Amino acid sequence: MHRPQVLFLVKFFVILVVAYLLIAWNPVNDHVIVPFTAGITRMSAAVLNLMGEGVTVSGTVLSSPRFAVNINNGCNGVEAMLILLASIVAFPASARARAAGLLLGAVAVQLLNAVRIVTLFLLGAHYPHLFDTFHTAVWQIVIILSAIVFFLIWSARVATPRLATRG
Amino acid sequence: MPRLDWRLAVKTIAGFALGLAVWLLLTPLYDRFLARAAEMTIRTFERPPVTRLKVAEDHYVTVDRTDFDPRSKRPAIPLRDLTFNFLLLTALFAISRRPFSDRNMLGFLIASAILTLTHVFGAVAEVMSIYVSKLGIWSTVHYGPFARNFWGVANHFYRLVLMYAIAFSLWWIFRSDGSEPAPKGRKKARK
Repeated sequence: MHRPQVLFLVKFFVILVVAYLLIAWNPVNDHVIVPFTAGITRMSAAVLNLMGEGVTVSGTVLSSPRFAVNINNGCNGVEAMLILLASIVAFPASARARAAGLLLGAVAVQLLNAVRIVTLFLLGAHYPHLFDTFHTAVWQIVIILSAIVFFLIWSARVATPRLATRG
Repeated sequence: MPRLDWRLAVKTIAGFALGLAVWLLLTPLYDRFLARAAEMTIRTFERPPVTRLKVAEDHYVTVDRTDFDPRSKRPAIPLRDLTFNFLLLTALFAISRRPFSDRNMLGFLIASAILTLTHVFGAVAEVMSIYVSKLGIWSTVHYGPFARNFWGVANHFYRLVLMYAIAFSLWWIFRSDGSEPAPKGRKKARK
């Protein structure tokens, strides 16, 4: 590995740890993360009700007569946004390019996450035997992988010769 | 950087599907290995060594201690929740320009071996987070605030983002750029 690539990894982990500690801090969790997750829950409920699922919302809990799910950290897309944030900020680029990447990436991650919540709810309600595998492994990796692929696309566009990425 | 076109999507999906198949197939065996490795690690630092991790049904491992009241319920941990970042690793290595090149395959094997070590850490952190905070008065008597915060944060951080960051970093370190020299045979054929 070349020095800039080592530097990228070091910065990536430092930013990740700092961002994690920030969102894990109770005041931030209670006043930012939980309301944000409740917003995602309401949005997902609206989509599910358009599909005739008869869903009700209570805070971060989605429930219908067939199935109920509590949307927690790990299911709200924040983990993918942290990976995106750490990788984009650690990568050498202009502030403008970083801001655009973070904004677009966050929107993309959250749109995909809404699809995840809706499909997981439908799986839980109609095909419960598939729920665990899709909840634990499939969707979680798809969301993180999307964030990483978005970062690769973004970094290929803004890359400077200093960190000409290989791979 | 991999080429960003439809082939990237196909390779990513293929790598993910292959990883999922291997992971689903090997998980029962891997859970046993991981439970044993985590148990050995924990017992190494215990005086006296009392922890026993027993593989139960549905990919859960029961956490037992010889000093627990035999009548009390044993906590269980879902090991597969700690190991599915393997799928991320296979998908990322699949997006290389030459996914089956020697260098990429070697990188994948080394990364997988290191990932296994981090799975042991994840399992240890999971067990310790139970010991320090989820066993009521027993936890309060045996562990102080530092241990509670350390293992609680370690377990939460690992599950929320670290497991993905580890897979991404291992790929970043060991990926191949597809620029390795052509096999000798091909060079000779050109002459």
